[in-house]
Amino acid sequence: MSRPAEPLLLRTLGGVGHYALFVAAFVRAVRRHGVPWGAVLGESYRIGVLSLPVLLVIAGFVGTNLALQGHAAFTPLGGQRLVGLFVSLAGVRELAPIIAASMVAAKAGTEMASQLGVMRIREQIDALEVMAVNPLAFLVAPRLVGILLVLPALTVLSIFVMVASGYAVAVHQLGLNGHVFLEFATTGIRPVDFLYGQIKGMIFGALICTVSCWYGYFCESGPEGVGRATNRAVVTSAVLCVALNYFLSEIMYGR
Amino acid sequence: MGPIRRSLETRLAALGRVGAFAGALAWRACTPPLFGRAILGHVWSTSTRCLPPVVAVTLPFGMVVSLQGLEIFRVFGAERLLSSLVSVTVLRELAPVMASVLIAAQGGSSCAAELGAMRIKEELDATAVMAVDPLRVHVLPRLLGLALSCPLLYVAGSSAGLFGGWFTAVLVKNEPSGIFLQSLWALTTPLDIWAGVVKTVVFGLCIGLVASYHGTFATGGAAGVGRAVNDTVVHSVLVFISANYLLTSAFFGATT
Repeated sequence: MSRPAEPLLLRTLGGVGHYALFVAAFVRAVRRHGVPWGAVLGESYRIGVLSLPVLLVIAGFVGTNLALQGHAAFTPLGGQRLVGLFVSLAGVRELAPIIAASMVAAKAGTEMASQLGVMRIREQIDALEVMAVNPLAFLVAPRLVGILLVLPALTVLSIFVMVASGYAVAVHQLGLNGHVFLEFATTGIRPVDFLYGQIKGMIFGALICTVSCWYGYFCESGPEGVGRATNRAVVTSAVLCVALNYFLSEIMYGR
Repeated sequence: MGPIRRSLETRLAALGRVGAFAGALAWRACTPPLFGRAILGHVWSTSTRCLPPVVAVTLPFGMVVSLQGLEIFRVFGAERLLSSLVSVTVLRELAPVMASVLIAAQGGSSCAAELGAMRIKEELDATAVMAVDPLRVHVLPRLLGLALSCPLLYVAGSSAGLFGGWFTAVLVKNEPSGIFLQSLWALTTPLDIWAGVVKTVVFGLCIGLVASYHGTFATGGAAGVGRAVNDTVVHSVLVFISANYLLTSAFFGATT
């Protein structure tokens, strides 16, 4: 399989087909060779724990801004109490899954693309094949299992940090009543919303991992090739996650 | 205490290097010659390259705001407020932040990849040897190009977000289009759009500074360029999200 090079529409369609073939080949490889479970723990550590500080800082600032904007928007309507509802609904249902996914795409996804890209241009992937080790099962499968384990957990943590920082801003900067904030924050959401967030996280994780590994696996030679693969990996997976998010939200909450 | 102190020291040293780098660039931005044609070229290439991903992200986000807002407002029987919510959230927060995230991922990372490849291939050193200032010729136009294309992309992104909100409310959920368009500007003022423009210029400067710093000081071959790109996206999002909190507090926080 080599990357096709044609005009834009053909290239896009060819890319989609090529990606589908890559995923099919990956599924076949995993079914035949199994997942190397020994590498899963290390990958989950690298994806989850190393993305954690960045994600928590960003989720915190998203929460503060939710509170500020909710306050600015609802004050003219006399609904200052709705700030808690706004923070928890927007955070739990939409922003926490999306922010966690885009930060994991930006940190772990780019790392996958650049690692696999460097392995490709140093011909290490070919070397694996020569040694009769299936590179898809050996390199991609542990990363996929790791991201599936870790992204739902990161989603829950970012929900917590978002609501906490929204509370901090609402109470200590805007001077709202904390009890009212928490009461409205908890009435708005149901336990099943958390489950939906986890499902979103797992779907986004699978998408990020396969897209980033696809870009890295078919990286072009040279430092520009690695840079371009990394760049495209994060942009494509972020765009696909946000677009997919609309349809998931429509299925989960639209009726 | 040893490793913590050492990591703190390396971080502070990196911060100092960023500051010195920013100062050097600011000095070159204030003194002639400023390569206007190169800046415009980078504005054009950054805007065209970032436009598809920015629109592809803000459009579904507007649709999601509409979807979720409609569900909440139906409980209160206040569907006519929906478009006000859409325009407030899109213009004030979502469009600036999501557009800048995508600009960091697309424009910032390609800026870092280009400069990093020039560093690795010693083109930046070659420029300096020829008595041409690489910061002025290669780095500054890229940084200013990013900073100037951010507001353009903000305008495009917020239009796409508003359109997405209208699309879901009117065509998918069968709300009346007239009410949507009538109350679209009920809570927003031109000041909101100016605030968005100011925000995105600041975000663009942050992204450009982080990207050109990581690109210019890339080390270690192809893997180093990959690492520079990776660090660029993560660090620039961190920097501008924290700047966003301060800017939002300044623009919208003082209503009490």
